[in-house]
Amino acid sequence: MASSLSPECTPLKTSYDVCFNSWFEGYLEPAVSALQTADRAAYAKANAEEYELKCGKIWQEYKACVHKAIKDNGLEPVLQQAREEHPLATPPSSSEHRKA
Amino acid sequence: MHFFSQSFQYDHPWSHVVIGMWRKYPNPKCTHVVSVDVVDRSVDPQTGIIRTERILGCKQKAPRWIVKLFGGSEDAFVREICFVDPATQNTTITSVNLSLSQFASCYEVVRYTPSSHNRTAFTQTAEIQARMALWRSAADGLEKWLCQRFEQNAQLGKTAFTEVLRALSEERLGRPAMAA
Repeated sequence: MASSLSPECTPLKTSYDVCFNSWFEGYLEPAVSALQTADRAAYAKANAEEYELKCGKIWQEYKACVHKAIKDNGLEPVLQQAREEHPLATPPSSSEHRKA
Repeated sequence: MHFFSQSFQYDHPWSHVVIGMWRKYPNPKCTHVVSVDVVDRSVDPQTGIIRTERILGCKQKAPRWIVKLFGGSEDAFVREICFVDPATQNTTITSVNLSLSQFASCYEVVRYTPSSHNRTAFTQTAEIQARMALWRSAADGLEKWLCQRFEQNAQLGKTAFTEVLRALSEERLGRPAMAA
């Protein structure tokens, strides 16, 4: 695993990455078939809940550590600006051009 | 403004590529990437789309004139937003530089979609533009350097990720991966 921005967050990052990767691999293959059908919403909801259940706690701990590291490294202003310029709340369409 | 684009195929199914995506770093071929952090992640309960926001920390030597003029340093940070849509089998990754963002913008979009015969199509585009109006020659120089570095890293990334996918494939088949 790569390290975190802040060495003290690296153990939390590693634990979180392991949790997410494990959930993700279990999620993906059946999701590809299930999500083609009307079961999509039900499957997605069940898996979103499972992710929260399995990885929710470690995510909160890691996230808190990372957000502090971002602040301590002075990255918050540029991150905020980048988020305002390109919120990317939804996937960009193939024809979408970025803001000048 | 400089444009960059490339596309090719990986000899792996889409889901394998997408799983491999999270395992790309650390990578001996991409030593310039020194840290990777997830700053936000959500799973849409309606669509099943996974949105991930990451910050990647890179260390790369910048020419001295750039460091002096723009106050750049060895540390460069990138913001990456990734959408994985299992229903449509589309992955889109958008990256933009956080460092030197007031001077130049490097906006990259990568897409992974299935193609035929258990292969995955990869497309990558980038727009690199210096933002400043003054000192045209400095802006041109900065843009050129960013472009060169981008192309170099894109090549390294392709080689590196190909190796990651191969090793992951061996792992999943239960055979020991060959030493890198």
